[in-house]
Amino acid sequence: MNAGGFSKMNELVEIFRLLEFQFFQHALLGGTIAALACAWVGLFLILRKEAMIGDGIAHTAFGGIALGMFLGVNPILTSLVVSVLAVLGISYMRRKGLAQSDSAIAVMLAVGFSAGLIIISLAGGFNVELFSFLFGSILTIDQTDLVIVSILGISTTLMLGIFYKELLSITFDEEDARLMGIPVRPLSLAFNLLVAITIVLSIKVVGVILVVALLVLPGLSALQLNLSFKGTTLAAIGIGILSMTTGVLLSAIYNVATSGVIVFTAAAIFLFTAIYRRLE
Amino acid sequence: MADNNQSDVMKEETPILEVSNLYVNRSNSSVIEHADFTIHRGDYVGIVGPNGGGKTTLILALLNILPRTKGTIRLFGQNIESFSDWEKVAYVPQHAVNFDPNFPLAVRELVSLGRVNRGNMGRTLKRNDWKAVDEALDFMGISDIAKKRIGQLSGGQKQRVFVAKALVRNPEIIFLDEPVVGVDASTQEKFYKKLSDLNVERGITILIVTHDLTAVFCRMSKVMCINKWVNVAEITETLEPEEVLRKAYGEHFHFVFHGHECRRVFEDE
Repeated sequence: MNAGGFSKMNELVEIFRLLEFQFFQHALLGGTIAALACAWVGLFLILRKEAMIGDGIAHTAFGGIALGMFLGVNPILTSLVVSVLAVLGISYMRRKGLAQSDSAIAVMLAVGFSAGLIIISLAGGFNVELFSFLFGSILTIDQTDLVIVSILGISTTLMLGIFYKELLSITFDEEDARLMGIPVRPLSLAFNLLVAITIVLSIKVVGVILVVALLVLPGLSALQLNLSFKGTTLAAIGIGILSMTTGVLLSAIYNVATSGVIVFTAAAIFLFTAIYRRLE
Repeated sequence: MADNNQSDVMKEETPILEVSNLYVNRSNSSVIEHADFTIHRGDYVGIVGPNGGGKTTLILALLNILPRTKGTIRLFGQNIESFSDWEKVAYVPQHAVNFDPNFPLAVRELVSLGRVNRGNMGRTLKRNDWKAVDEALDFMGISDIAKKRIGQLSGGQKQRVFVAKALVRNPEIIFLDEPVVGVDASTQEKFYKKLSDLNVERGITILIVTHDLTAVFCRMSKVMCINKWVNVAEITETLEPEEVLRKAYGEHFHFVFHGHECRRVFEDE
């Protein structure tokens, strides 16, 4: 066996050794929950042609993180409150005709992000913890974070599971869904709140800047496979979890930024599926 | 004969749709004016008229999707505002077949969406729902494409799939808005035949917007002409199609209608 072979063996041993550590178990578990929720919510977002609402809410959540750090409260909780307010704000502006969907998202993004900047400057500037929310810090997920991520993740997947067929009906043909007595507006608002929750629970994993990739890439990859809706949903979730675990392991082996590797893995899978579709 | 008289009386007593003095505006201009008509159970109504005459607007108003300026609409004897039995009503909109071809849905999944309603919110579809889906696929002759992605369907297959989606609700009345646009003549004929079967075998009331005047006068029981105003006429041996249609399309309109076309349609069956 050559030196390269030994090196690979050592890497494998290293991975198994890492799996024994609690912080690594937290990372994989938290990451898997986030990947599952993001992929499922993200598929609906893509099909509703609202992927940018994910980016908008993520940037608005930054204001909530800054507020949490300023007040000394868990930033995940404050960003959850701010994100929910952002969703309600976007919905209000659209309903009242104050702004179209994309403009309303842009307004909320700008207000949330600039509020974050103001709070940070009041608090005395950037620090390491803030960077961990901006770019993700999956390896620092502690017990409290994991409990919050689990509760939010399970609530989101439960809600999606319960109202799966209604959301599909609204996504495919809103007018028909309305005719069948499905409460389209409340369900659409509830769905956007799920988007906010999903983003917040993923912030610790990939950070506010890259969370949109975790929302969009698994669903986009699954769509290339030409499957049924059930098949596409399962494929998106599978691809999301695969990107997450592969990304965490690769980043541990090569000692590079975890969130970057997770997103890069998801992008590579998208590339492969796109090539597969071309060749099909 | 007595039974016929009784059923005629019943027919008169229980109209499925009653419209009186209906006015509908769109973008501040009047589209439908003073519409008065009655549709009975089992009617097969062809809705015709020039483009922009208000056909789609009328259907949307009848379904309470578009607000009306004035007038009353009664569906199954109930005022449209308080009407709640929407399961009895199915609608295949004009844009139904223009869906995103990349939308990841198999035919069977799409048809199953017809069973989604307020009554079963938050619950998964049950075995009887899926049975109804398979029956609707079977009736429309599309069981063989149940697993096909909807983006891979031909124009004719799309029509049948959307009618199956409407049928799976077990509706008593179906509204179809120009379902045969862009489909070849032979497929259109088969489609109208399928609708006739639905009308005759299941007693479903059908209102269909179409430009196929031959299909209307050969297959349907009533013709509804719309050009701002609405005129409904029973299609009988003595009805002069040209006379009815000229009111809607104008004096320069010439309807070339060959009696043998009707015979050919029925002989094929």
